[in-house]
Amino acid sequence: MNQMMMVPPQPAPPPPLPLAFSGDRGEFRRLVTRGAALELVTVGFYRFWLATDIRRHLWSNTVIDGDAAEYTGRARELLIGFLIAMAIIVPIYLAYFIAGLEAERFKAFASTPLVLFFYVFGQFAIYRARRYRLTRTVWRGVRFWMSGSGWAYAGWSMLWGLGTVLTLGLLLPWREAALERYKMRHSYYGDLQGSFEGRGWEFFKRGWWLWLLAPFSFYLFPAAPFVYAAYKAVEWRWWLSGIRFGGVRLESTMRRSALIGLYWKVIGWFLLFALAIGAYLVGCAALVASMHGIAMAMLFKTPALLHSIPLIVLAGIGYLATVLGLNVVMRVYLLRDLWARVVASTTVHGIEAAANVSARGELANALGEGFADGLDVAGF
Amino acid sequence: MDNVPEAAPAQPQPERSAIFFNGESSRRRPVTVTFSYALELRESLNSTVRWQYADVRRADSPAGILRLSCLSAPALARLEIRDAALAAEVIAHCPRLDQNLPGKSGSAATIVAWSLAAAASIIAMVWFGAPLAADRLTPLVPQSFERRLGDVADGQIKVMFGNKVCNEGAGQAAFTKLVDKLRDAAGLDPSIRSAVLATVIPNAFALPGGRVYLFDGLLAKAQNPDEIAGVLAHEFGHLRHRDGTRNLIYNGGSSFLIGLLFGDVTGSGAMIFASRSLVTASYSREAEQGADDFSIEVMHKLGRPTKPMGELLFRVTGKQGDNGLSILTGHPLTEDRLQHMTEADRPASGPPLLTADEWTALKAICAAAGGSEKGGGDGNSGGKPSEDGSGKI
Repeated sequence: MNQMMMVPPQPAPPPPLPLAFSGDRGEFRRLVTRGAALELVTVGFYRFWLATDIRRHLWSNTVIDGDAAEYTGRARELLIGFLIAMAIIVPIYLAYFIAGLEAERFKAFASTPLVLFFYVFGQFAIYRARRYRLTRTVWRGVRFWMSGSGWAYAGWSMLWGLGTVLTLGLLLPWREAALERYKMRHSYYGDLQGSFEGRGWEFFKRGWWLWLLAPFSFYLFPAAPFVYAAYKAVEWRWWLSGIRFGGVRLESTMRRSALIGLYWKVIGWFLLFALAIGAYLVGCAALVASMHGIAMAMLFKTPALLHSIPLIVLAGIGYLATVLGLNVVMRVYLLRDLWARVVASTTVHGIEAAANVSARGELANALGEGFADGLDVAGF
Repeated sequence: MDNVPEAAPAQPQPERSAIFFNGESSRRRPVTVTFSYALELRESLNSTVRWQYADVRRADSPAGILRLSCLSAPALARLEIRDAALAAEVIAHCPRLDQNLPGKSGSAATIVAWSLAAAASIIAMVWFGAPLAADRLTPLVPQSFERRLGDVADGQIKVMFGNKVCNEGAGQAAFTKLVDKLRDAAGLDPSIRSAVLATVIPNAFALPGGRVYLFDGLLAKAQNPDEIAGVLAHEFGHLRHRDGTRNLIYNGGSSFLIGLLFGDVTGSGAMIFASRSLVTASYSREAEQGADDFSIEVMHKLGRPTKPMGELLFRVTGKQGDNGLSILTGHPLTEDRLQHMTEADRPASGPPLLTADEWTALKAICAAAGGSEKGGGDGNSGGKPSEDGSGKI
């Protein structure tokens, strides 16, 4: 890997540094539990504050070369971005509706291709949301930032997406590589320009067998989580190992099996919740039945019972509790634990190149996050 | 704890060291922290930064590190203190340390209060604003636009039901006669188009822009022309009230508002669905009631009884009170409609709408086309038609 023995006079390069994640799991769990409850109470408006708190926790506990990163974004920015995005999206939806109407009049279901427009718009939002998050990422008092054009990215993404669909997904690694190259080429840490050196071919070599397995795993329930987890692990490793900022180079040693456990734990929790809600509903039904004076055996033969108001209210409460629990489980395992594993698998080479970087770059607004939220393409 | 300040003045305070990032470069600068009139960060003899105590704020950091920023310094300048004793001393000196920190106690309560206010406002808009908007906007929508809407829905319905329009000669003549009589009594212009579709589902519906479809399945269940006449008059009522356009505006507006309300809480899909069905069903019940009243009015004008339509509906659906939550159904309960029509019923005073022969021909309108074209293959019509159109009976 590092064949440096040709140049003996130079001092040996410093050993690669591991990244570290120091976040307390219990603290994160409390954070997302409280957040999920508040999200329910505020009919979803709390999501801006929760997303910000989650990022603050993850960023500030990720330690690179002894110094932790920091997330400086604020929920108020996300809220304002969302409101402005809404003011723009609503007229677009109306125009979309009328254009769809004209197309449908021409031929039934002819408006389907208009969905493409929203795909492109979604890609634009993804790019702009990434720019917002990156400009709120600070390490050693210097922020990351991003240039480039969201629309250019969206155009590339659509063309590559078209190719991927036409080749039944075979082109996916090259699509990812091309889009990452665009994103990283326009990413900076201070005056240190980023780049992406991952090649589509390498991704393909590591993941082609998953591509073959994917169609079968749809029909074979226990296979799907394995295939997906392996795919995600391969993707993470390839992506991280391709990231460069000037002379700083990341490397990931993530094993293909590294994420399988996480996904199965989530599935286990889902089943547990399903059992719990099932038992709870049967209990509620029995309770309501005893109030109406109906025998247990007759329970499911009386349709009126299934439409009684108390039962619906009890079921609604159970539903909300389940939603809350599942939200917590998904965030703890698929955000926090996943993050911790990804960070633990990553090492940094050449960090000395980042020892004296000058601050550059402007803050980007949160409009992209607002669009991503409004179009349901939001990451975390 | 108390012995630290006592011992400190004598020594050169080697433990009061911290890491400073000046916000302009990523260089790690070891500094010595001194407490004078301000927080003094000395990197070397001739390079000292002073932070006013009142301007010092806490920044996010991992556990065990106190990270500070300063309002009057570059926004990203940071001081990192790893020594617990020094951190405690800094905290004691800086009075407004936690002032800008997000997630302070009480901020959640403010967010909850504002969200509930926003939710209340959205609910009020769904409840009062959307029906009002639908009522006021519907007359402003030009007929030509409504006709386009109808054309769109028509295209999709033709695809869904296989475009099986029945127009067998004598049956079509009887159907046209019946429709013309009703249309004149309803005061609608002759541009209205209507047809019988060969589908076993017992239903009928009106599309915006003036189209009425009667399904053969309903015809099969009918026992006399007055039953069908009542149903057609009901559909004409929807056209007259422009319920299709009204529903479109109302449904579009209220779905959008409800979607806005719940945002993207994972699992909120069910909540959106539930509240939407609740709200639109109540709105639709009012429209159905209006169309029933219109049908009664038309039948009175023609001097025909209104009860038969109620009987036909009852034959199709049976008693509904036992199954289904009444607040979730888009129509009033059939037994209530039957009662309403029975109360409004008057003995026949006008001539029958169709002769016995014409009635027989109408009943057989789909026999020819349906028999040859699709045989027994009524395959696609097992379930309910989708809820996208408007004004089904």
